[in-house]
Amino acid sequence: MASSWCWSCLSRLRATPTPRAILPPQSITPRITTASFHSSAVQYANPTKKKGALVAVKYRQGQTLRRKKKKTTERARPPAVGERKALRKRIVLSNPNALEVEGMQDLSSETMVDARLRGSVLGLPVPMLDQLRAVQAFKPKQGWSIFRRPGTVLRRDTLEMARLFEKISGEGDAAEKGKVVKKIVTGLKGSGKTVHLLQAMAMGFVKKWVVVTVPDARELVSGDTSYSPIEGTNPPQYVQPNAVSALLMRTVEANRQVLASLKVSQKHSALPSLKASSTLEDLAKLGFQDAAVAWPVFQALWTELTATAAAPGMEKDFKPRPPMLVTVDGIAHWMKESAYRAADYSPVHAHDLVFVKHFISLLQNGQASLKNGGMVLYATSTSNNPAIYTLDIALEQLAARQAGVSPSSPDYPAPEAYSGADARILELFKPTTGKEPQFELQTLGGLTRDEARGYLEYFARSGLLREEVNETWVGEKWSLSGGGIIGELEKLGRHVRSTAQTTPVLN
Amino acid sequence: MARPTPNGLTQAFQALRLHSSTTSRPVTRCLARQTRTYATEVEGQQPSALATQEQAPAAPEIDFTNFSRRPARIVPASPSYFSGSPRFIDHVLKLESLQAKYASLPTVAAGDAPRMAWFKLAQFRDYVGEPVPMKKYKSLVKILQRLNRIQPEMVPGDVKRTLESFLRPGNPYAVQHVQRTVDENGRARAKGKRKESTAVVQLVEGEGEVIVNGKSLVEAFQRVHDRESALWALRCTQRLDKYNAWITVRGGGVTGQAEAITLAIGRALLMHEPALKPVLRKAGVITVDARRVERKKPGHVKARKMPTWVKR
Repeated sequence: MASSWCWSCLSRLRATPTPRAILPPQSITPRITTASFHSSAVQYANPTKKKGALVAVKYRQGQTLRRKKKKTTERARPPAVGERKALRKRIVLSNPNALEVEGMQDLSSETMVDARLRGSVLGLPVPMLDQLRAVQAFKPKQGWSIFRRPGTVLRRDTLEMARLFEKISGEGDAAEKGKVVKKIVTGLKGSGKTVHLLQAMAMGFVKKWVVVTVPDARELVSGDTSYSPIEGTNPPQYVQPNAVSALLMRTVEANRQVLASLKVSQKHSALPSLKASSTLEDLAKLGFQDAAVAWPVFQALWTELTATAAAPGMEKDFKPRPPMLVTVDGIAHWMKESAYRAADYSPVHAHDLVFVKHFISLLQNGQASLKNGGMVLYATSTSNNPAIYTLDIALEQLAARQAGVSPSSPDYPAPEAYSGADARILELFKPTTGKEPQFELQTLGGLTRDEARGYLEYFARSGLLREEVNETWVGEKWSLSGGGIIGELEKLGRHVRSTAQTTPVLN
Repeated sequence: MARPTPNGLTQAFQALRLHSSTTSRPVTRCLARQTRTYATEVEGQQPSALATQEQAPAAPEIDFTNFSRRPARIVPASPSYFSGSPRFIDHVLKLESLQAKYASLPTVAAGDAPRMAWFKLAQFRDYVGEPVPMKKYKSLVKILQRLNRIQPEMVPGDVKRTLESFLRPGNPYAVQHVQRTVDENGRARAKGKRKESTAVVQLVEGEGEVIVNGKSLVEAFQRVHDRESALWALRCTQRLDKYNAWITVRGGGVTGQAEAITLAIGRALLMHEPALKPVLRKAGVITVDARRVERKKPGHVKARKMPTWVKR
């Protein structure tokens, strides 16, 4: 092969043509072609490749057409951490664009038992809203944000509950002071179970009860909060200090007035730092700072609230304790194994969490536990609802007993053989013995036509509904909402009608 | 007996036994015979045979009383034998002759004539065994209808018989539709179908409660639109608060089920109040939507979609 060096002038032969990109374009400068000193370079040069000819494909190289992807345009910054969740969980309670409903009454101890107001919407008193917010009575997506101010319908179930509140508080004709009413609230989706609990809380605040709530039962079993075993328990029990601390915070925030007026009346050996003259608010506040003592603090608070008399030597400032309202929403989550694990990695049953167990046991020994009377309302949920076969059967059994079916009769529902029914849940729903009354099953249905009419009129008077609310129109909506299911009525009420409206064809 | 000789004229004469041109014939034949001989012909005998025939007497007189049954050639029975569809044309001709024969008989209006279920085209093709075009069959049916319009008391027997021969077997118009009514318990039961869904509705007078498959309407149909369309028959007549419905619906999807219920409720409502028919018809509630999913075809990706075109 010929060397690339020229022997005579020691210049480098150019085997490849020099790149022409550096030259200015031809149109501007006339091209001056100079004869190359050597011609052999051109002869030895490799044949130039044709433009567009197929390039030899390397072994195992993809032959698919590759196009350049469009560069993603710069977008606005994503929201800060936690902002999305805050937006999702935000609760808006008023809409300044909605009209103010004239003559709307507030919930008070008089109006809540007034049967004449049945079907009308009672506003929640404005000072109470902070308390209700503190116990997380409002849930997002409940449609509070479309009205000027929050209000609830006074329906039949509400009136009945209000009468119970009156009785237990020791007012009215048939006062039953110290009675405990225990109920499991079920019903279709959108039938107003959570709002029923909210109404109970509002009535509790009206009557100056102590309101203790678990707004979402799922949070306690989903493995989100810390848990630790309690020493010396067999089978091992678990405490959730942070959840208890949060509960104490909620309870103090909502019931500050009541708790601040009550003094400590018992001796609490587990809390040496507690002063004898401190109020129950101070007691509960101990659990805020140090989550480690939250559970003993909660136990101490509970014994204080359920005390009927002071311990010997502490009678000085003892005031009778008010009744208590205990509500839990989404009870089904507590009827299965939790997301927590024991030391041997076996799942922990929800009933092995002392926090959960404490509230569950109120169903069985509520009368014994709540000595000052009160109400225990546990609601199921249909939107966030685990499928628990045993609970379904147990609720059916409860309904059958209420309908008068004897547990020994063949019509009495029983779990299928080999279905693996949870014995603890069946045990919980067994008929109670002794003085303890059985807890009831309250199934929320739809509103009656009159109640539905009052509710839809409220929409119209708030300026949301621009239609004449008359008997036929309400009857139609009542049927479409599955017999007055209030959540569905709300959907129909806020539904913006298009201009092309269907006119009824009639002969 | 027709002999296959090359000379057709000769053959014809032989058959008629006319021997006017005997002189010319042997010449031509002899020339021909030299190349071809037949086993049936004896060449040398021919002149002598001719001579004996000339001496024979004339044919006897034709006896018309005892005429030979066998014609000289087979003539087809039908004059339209050599047309494309002889049996069909025979029928047409027969009907036309009947029509002409009884044209003077009084007729009734087309609506008053008895309802007849003539053969459908495919059945008629089977009946005559010929590929009859649609248009021609229509013209035949027109004649049938004209004959059918003859006043019923005066219809001649042959017309009646002829018309009956064109009727579909198992006379479909003889079956009387039983008008379904509300039963003794006040329930109207009706069915409706749409897409793959079938709904059975029991409609009773009530307060507007609806149960679908044992569930409430809200549980069965989460969308308000589906609920509205399911109860559309009651809604557009403003009867929502006057009836209770107990519904069973199976198959298909949510929309199909809702619209099957629409149809069923519309039909059930008609049992209670037949006067609502024009209103319901206008609301589109009793119109059956018979569309179903088109089947997938071989070679297609779906019913109509073709695979994407690939170069190689």
